[in-house]
Amino acid sequence: MADHAAALVREHFSTAEQQRETETLGMWIFLATEVMFFGGLFVAFTVYRMYYPQAFGTGSAGMNIVLGSINTAVLITSSFTMAMAVHSAEVGNPRLLTLLLIVTMLLGCIFLGIKFTEYYQHFLEHRMPGVWFDYAGPAASKVQMFFVFYYFMTGLHALHMIVGVGVLLVILGRAMAGSFSAGYSTPVAMAGLYWSFVDIIWVFLFAIFYLQGLHV
Amino acid sequence: MAQPVVPKRTYLLAYLVLLALLLLTTILAYINMGPFSMVIAILIAAVQASLIASFFMQALYESALVRVVTAGGIVWFLIMMTLVLTDYITRGWLPFPGK
Amino acid sequence: MSTTVAVPVETNYLTEKQGILSWLLTTDHKRIGLLYFFSVTAFFFVGGFFAVLMRLHLLTPQGVIVGPETYNKLFTMHGIIMVWFFLIPSIPATLGNFLIPMMIGAKDLAFPKLNLASWYVFMLGGAVTLWALVRGGVDTGWTFYTPFSTTYSTTYVVGAALGIFISGFSSIMTGINFIATIHRMRAPGLTWFRLPIFIWSHYATSMIFVLATPVLAITLLMVCFERLFQVGIFDPALGGDPVLFQHMFWFYSHPAVYVMILPAMAVVSEIIPVFSRRPIFGYTAVAYSSVAIAVVGFLVWGHHLFVAGESVYSAMAFSFMSYLVAIPSAIKVFNWSATMVKGSISWDTPMLYAIGFLGLFTIGGMTGLFLAALGLDVHVTDTYFVVAHFHYIMVGGAVMAYLGGVHYWWPKISGKMYPEGLARLSALIVFLGFNLTFFPQFVLGFLGMPRRYAAYPDEFQFLHVLSTAGASILGVGYVLPLCYLIWAWKYGKEAGPNPWRATGLEWQTASPPPAQNFDTTPIVTRPAYDFEGMKEELHLG
Repeated sequence: MADHAAALVREHFSTAEQQRETETLGMWIFLATEVMFFGGLFVAFTVYRMYYPQAFGTGSAGMNIVLGSINTAVLITSSFTMAMAVHSAEVGNPRLLTLLLIVTMLLGCIFLGIKFTEYYQHFLEHRMPGVWFDYAGPAASKVQMFFVFYYFMTGLHALHMIVGVGVLLVILGRAMAGSFSAGYSTPVAMAGLYWSFVDIIWVFLFAIFYLQGLHV
Repeated sequence: MAQPVVPKRTYLLAYLVLLALLLLTTILAYINMGPFSMVIAILIAAVQASLIASFFMQALYESALVRVVTAGGIVWFLIMMTLVLTDYITRGWLPFPGK
Repeated sequence: MSTTVAVPVETNYLTEKQGILSWLLTTDHKRIGLLYFFSVTAFFFVGGFFAVLMRLHLLTPQGVIVGPETYNKLFTMHGIIMVWFFLIPSIPATLGNFLIPMMIGAKDLAFPKLNLASWYVFMLGGAVTLWALVRGGVDTGWTFYTPFSTTYSTTYVVGAALGIFISGFSSIMTGINFIATIHRMRAPGLTWFRLPIFIWSHYATSMIFVLATPVLAITLLMVCFERLFQVGIFDPALGGDPVLFQHMFWFYSHPAVYVMILPAMAVVSEIIPVFSRRPIFGYTAVAYSSVAIAVVGFLVWGHHLFVAGESVYSAMAFSFMSYLVAIPSAIKVFNWSATMVKGSISWDTPMLYAIGFLGLFTIGGMTGLFLAALGLDVHVTDTYFVVAHFHYIMVGGAVMAYLGGVHYWWPKISGKMYPEGLARLSALIVFLGFNLTFFPQFVLGFLGMPRRYAAYPDEFQFLHVLSTAGASILGVGYVLPLCYLIWAWKYGKEAGPNPWRATGLEWQTASPPPAQNFDTTPIVTRPAYDFEGMKEELHLG
């Protein structure tokens, strides 16, 4: 077990612990960059929401709260199963790890399926921005602005989800090949960090898009 | 392995609290609180985010440096938000056009 | 046991593995530094070529070299290539990559494969941008202001924006690598306050890389989105605000200028102590100032929007903070100067560039204060005054420091000395050519010549002619090192491990260094720049 772990310490590191700490630090710094990446859109959204509260409320009212909250619950659950997957890697339980990774990926795919259903729904309702947009009420361009941010921000999030599923696929492959043990589970933890972070972004997206048009 | 493993019970507890917060924020959204609706929703989201980060992402169990990095990301986002909004909020405070 | 023993051939990072694949697939930070060096040099001359065309065109008031639309493309491509494909990567990705592990006694950066990936991402971004150039170029200015870039420009905005977007990830990867490395890979005994200032400054630079670049990325994506779907994020007719673009663009681009100057300051902080034979004055202040520049640099971007329509109150706040950010830079200038007091000054080429930097950066920085004053800015903004200001810092500052650093570490990188006489002459030519090019531009700007104009009133011609004359001299000054450094690589005198008798860890190993940098991991017990304490060792060096 010790040999297996030691063999994976790269040449420029002195100890396995240094490698793990450094890789963890690197991943958190990357996540900080993602905060700034999505953050720019949150700032722009806030500016326009400040300027067009009614139009944005109208836009929010066009969201499907049922699908939205189901999706949020699905993602939170997937974050839980991912954390449990990391845990099972840390204790050296490869079969449970494999199972939990598959469950997490499935939940991610369910999320994406629901998301694209929503996109299509909005498209049918002429809410997709651009040439497909058609809104009869006042301040149409401002309602469109809401949907621009909706598609852009949730679309960017969905892209991150797709990448996340891809990452988990790779981790799954390595897990099934027996690459991980109680002495070496860092890649699983790194994937877990990414996955949970994407969940965090969604939680805020849910708050700003879905929850503002429910009261009259 | 020097890294302490987070107990499964902690994960489960965090998960249940997260679901409860989801329920709470959805219910509260039906109550008209004017501009505070958005504030409350964001606050609850922030609590959820803290739980996910602290437990699922093990931020509470990592080195202080990791927490500084996380705090840094949040602070920098807030700098961007605050200084941009400062412009938009204070526009029109002077009686001159375009100021 | 055989009595004839084969003499082991000493290999270094250059000779250890041969062949093109060993370079293209390397994870050795030193080789990657050289890959970047090759790339940024090529981009420098491409960007320089556009500058040559511009200065030729501006010799006459109506301009005969190109038409006005093409002129717009010239200054745009000059800006894009010089900013993103030369200045931002120049010192960090070449010298930083090469030296950071060595200066901290490590075998490599924390993530060597990520390092190699960063070069490929950089090259991909460069290729996409050059493709946009070849297809006809962009005419929005390197600043991509909306709504021109999103609605009215008919040029390859999306292509150029995507190229820059891709190359931004290279910066982010480098930043992550440097921060993790500096935190976790220092040799035993190398505490934070024993680090060379080069490391502190690159750490601060990396903070900016990771916190600012993502905002540029999302802003460029928004521009592309709007341009492709015409949805009004920045279009007033559809409820958007063009000034929002400027906020988001400059949130990155102002800290980006500190990305360009902090590594230059890093180089100067290494050169001045060695060629004064004295430790840097006020080490702690200089270290903290590096971080302060990075942090406060995030709070000033609104000074680019003073006349764009931002509110007066936020303009006042940004103006105040712009004055604040000058303070840590000033501290550094004072401390570099104080380092030289009662020092034993040698006038070798690196020192010439460093001293040139000191004067020119100071002028550039102080003219920034003019621009940070709200009332004055109304007069000089968007004129040649601004152009001169930033060229003093970018070219008089950053490029001079880059050349100084390249000369200073050339012996370490190549194992050979460059020709000192010719190099000093080149430094002088650069200094004179630079000032002749850009000082007239301060006057031009103050007299009212706007920037980005292809034609101008007759009374400005004399100053423009001076500027173009200076540019031709400056060009010579840049081509000379290109030639003699290549020559020196092959034919230069052997340098030995420590030709400058410097104190850093990188000088305690062979020139060129072995692939793993050090034969045994060094253990550090001294402060940085310990010329006194290392007197014995350095005499033999």
